[in-house]
Amino acid sequence: MKKKIAIPPHFATRLLTWFIRDDLAEGVLGDLEEKFLQVAEERSLFLARISYWYEVVNYMRPFAIRKSKHLNPTIMVRHNLLLTIRNFKKHRSQFIINLAGLSSGIACVLFIFLWVTHEFQVEGFHEKEDRLYQLLGNHSQANGIATHYGVPADFLEAIQSEVPEVAHTIAWAPTGEVSVSVDGNYHKTEGLFASKDFFDGFSYRLLKGDPATMLSTKSGIVITQSLSDRLFKGADPIGKAMEWHFSGISQSLVVTGIVEVPKNTDNKFDYLMSWDYYFDDLMQYRGWSEHNALITVVLDAEFSKNIEAVKMVTSKINEVFKVRSSVFQDDFAKEGDENKLEFMLQKYADLYLYDNYENGKVAGGRIQYVHLFILIGIFILFIASINFINLSTAKAIGRTREIGVKKSFGASRGSLVGQYLMESVLLSLLSLAVAIMMVWSLLPYFNTMIQKDLTIGLNMETILMALSIILLVGIVAGSYPAFYLSRLKVLTVLKGKLGGKAGGAWGRKTLVVFQFTLSIILIASVMVVFYQMDYVMHKNLGYDRDNLIYFKREGKLMENHQAFIEEVKKLPGISGATLTQFRAGFYNWTEGVDWPGKTAENSVQFQQFFSGIGQIEMMGLEILEGRGFSSDFNEEQSVIFNETAIAAMGLKDPVGKTIRHYSGEKKIIGVVKDFNPLSLRDKIRPMVYLINPDRANYVLAKLNKGMELATIRKLEALHDTFNPGYIFEPKFVDQDYQQLYESEKQISRLSSLFAALAIFISCLGLYGLISFTTERRIKEIGIRKVLGSSAFGIVYLLSVDFSKMVLVAAVIALPISYLATSSWLENFAYHVDLPWWIFLVAGLGAFLIAWLTVGSQAYKSARINPAKCLKED
Amino acid sequence: MKETRLGEFEEVILLLVGILGEEAYAFRIAEEFKVQAGRSSSIGSVHSTLERLGDKGFLTSEMGKPGATRGGRRKRIYTITAAGRQALQTSRDFRMSLWNQLPDLAIDKLSLGL
Repeated sequence: MKKKIAIPPHFATRLLTWFIRDDLAEGVLGDLEEKFLQVAEERSLFLARISYWYEVVNYMRPFAIRKSKHLNPTIMVRHNLLLTIRNFKKHRSQFIINLAGLSSGIACVLFIFLWVTHEFQVEGFHEKEDRLYQLLGNHSQANGIATHYGVPADFLEAIQSEVPEVAHTIAWAPTGEVSVSVDGNYHKTEGLFASKDFFDGFSYRLLKGDPATMLSTKSGIVITQSLSDRLFKGADPIGKAMEWHFSGISQSLVVTGIVEVPKNTDNKFDYLMSWDYYFDDLMQYRGWSEHNALITVVLDAEFSKNIEAVKMVTSKINEVFKVRSSVFQDDFAKEGDENKLEFMLQKYADLYLYDNYENGKVAGGRIQYVHLFILIGIFILFIASINFINLSTAKAIGRTREIGVKKSFGASRGSLVGQYLMESVLLSLLSLAVAIMMVWSLLPYFNTMIQKDLTIGLNMETILMALSIILLVGIVAGSYPAFYLSRLKVLTVLKGKLGGKAGGAWGRKTLVVFQFTLSIILIASVMVVFYQMDYVMHKNLGYDRDNLIYFKREGKLMENHQAFIEEVKKLPGISGATLTQFRAGFYNWTEGVDWPGKTAENSVQFQQFFSGIGQIEMMGLEILEGRGFSSDFNEEQSVIFNETAIAAMGLKDPVGKTIRHYSGEKKIIGVVKDFNPLSLRDKIRPMVYLINPDRANYVLAKLNKGMELATIRKLEALHDTFNPGYIFEPKFVDQDYQQLYESEKQISRLSSLFAALAIFISCLGLYGLISFTTERRIKEIGIRKVLGSSAFGIVYLLSVDFSKMVLVAAVIALPISYLATSSWLENFAYHVDLPWWIFLVAGLGAFLIAWLTVGSQAYKSARINPAKCLKED
Repeated sequence: MKETRLGEFEEVILLLVGILGEEAYAFRIAEEFKVQAGRSSSIGSVHSTLERLGDKGFLTSEMGKPGATRGGRRKRIYTITAAGRQALQTSRDFRMSLWNQLPDLAIDKLSLGL
């Protein structure tokens, strides 16, 4: 029988010798082996092994464990810290460049982060957000599918009674600008009509009032605290009376509640009024072809986040519509019209970011800007990090000798790695602190610029995200010197064999190219955005909006408007006045136009403008055929179309022909040149102009140039005599028009800021690199100068490398930015042709800035006195 | 000031060191403890107690001679010091004085009760 040789478990022995104090090792190993042999003899080898392990583990006691080689580990940390600070001081300019670059980059990213989170949080406060859906109508037309928010008001009752999957149906509609008064003191305000279930869907906070009853009486009104303060001067408004004035109507109301409207909602209002009042008393036209309500549904709790349920509810709603609307006879319906209107549900919280519709489907919207800025943020973070990495690695190469000396004194690799990592992590943490201070102090300016009210939210996620990004940057930046340089052999390093051209140069070059590629893309894109915005702002939309003001017609002006208009016309400084329904960015639409030759296929929606006499002329619209509205004729039966409408209807020689409008038979008296009442994102649509003083709710006036302010004062005085109490609040059409591009303007302002920062940070990086290179090559420069090289020769020598890099970056960046910007321009129905020179300017600009940065530094060192730099050694 | 009193386990180990004399090294002590006390203890815990007793000045130790066993490794032999003997004496005296104060009656009653 072969006897097993009893040897203690190898790994346990190694473990023991690894941790045990050296002076104890011999005795302990002996003791354990003795015990092992004894157990092996008396019991079994297996048990002996187990007992050996048990004994080893039992030796893991403080007294027996070897102390660290460094008697006090904090000394090493303190040493590293000291070296780090000394290094920062020694290379002060590079330290500042590094810090400035990284911290401004991080500050940008933090700003973008704040803005993006804010955008995503809009409407996020509704508790039932995951089952709150908006009903939209898709209207198939000869010129494509038009998606409208307005849907038939009868849906409120129909969905409630016929779609059991819907827990609550809410009908609401903005009232537009109205006047409210308490004891004859008038204020202008805007609010909503809202049905009883409003608070069952939307989580606006109620400060006072009973949500179950406060919207159920026609005389009830729920107001915000700010409106209450304006009307009741701080007194408790509940139960108090107030008057509500809309056009010529005045309604007495009683305040039944106070509501709070948070900042992060897109649906802002000052008051809520009874839907029943609107539906029963104010609506002129009702029925399944009138799209005058906004409908929001709350699905049953069990259907939250259930896409199938949404589809099912959508089809049920469409079914309800088909059944109910077929009973209702629409004079203007043609055969085959049934499938021309289809309803869809969109998540209510998505309405803000996804508000663009193409072919009846959601096609982006604001979300594109959000994505754009996330991209810009990533770009900038890249650019800033690349700087940091480049400068750190470049600087580290200059410290190879330090590594050599430390290693020859016995520094372990681990301690060197620790030192470099600590240095770069420390710097990145410092820049995070600086960045947070920058954001904190600049936030008010940023808020004015984007017209938002952002605050620094210190939640755990933000902090963790910022910290992890910054640690990542620090570790990546420190890892090249930490892991590569600390591996070098002492002798090579000390002999100085590792010259300036050592490894990493290639990597650095690639990074610089990448960095400039990103910067050039940003610059080119921003230039295109600016160019397009300039085009949009100054493009002739087909009407003259200069010095055109308008104000609401209400109260007594509903009755005696003719006298008022006559008086206004007489005022000096006024060149024209009329009633109008036109406002920049707004329109009514109708399908209620019938013409000879209309079929289901060629039917279109018309933008409808109720005008006063002279409006077309005041807006500078050219009449192509026939005549405009005139006070010499009775114009009640007259209609004017724009060119697009005539083309869409396919009418030849339109003037004199008769069409049917939902308000009666009309004769075409003229054709007007196209103009765009909306923004250049929208195409020009068919338009119909009619005379109807009852529905033309605004007064439009044209001021003479030069004395606008005095004229407006006179106008106000006149308004006050005609309409005492009501507030006169005129607006310039042009300002409204500019307002339509507010988001584009914000985007262009922001993106230009970020593009400037990107190029600035990139140049900081270049500056740091070139000053580092010249520092290293200063002896070479001295020798070259001694041998007769000219200053220019040396500048060339130093900058040619960098110029090449930027050139390569331009070659990569320009095609990319071309593709990116041309797809952005597609969003506009009317846009500039992409001019090639923009890309040339962007490329050359980046090149020039880079060259100036490098050149100035190179020139400085080229002028150095060779005696100075050569006197040492 | 170092703690100079003896814990129960410390006292036993110290006594065992005295008993074992030349053979007082960690493994033997642990074995002897098992034999005498009837419960086992790991060498590590014995060793840590020995170390503590050394710190208190009750023990000294030195390496013995290498022998044929243990792969030629030397043993660390512990010897009780005068202070160690003193501490044992004090501990025993203290207990004896306590025992002497214990009334016999109380013990009888206790036995009766059983």
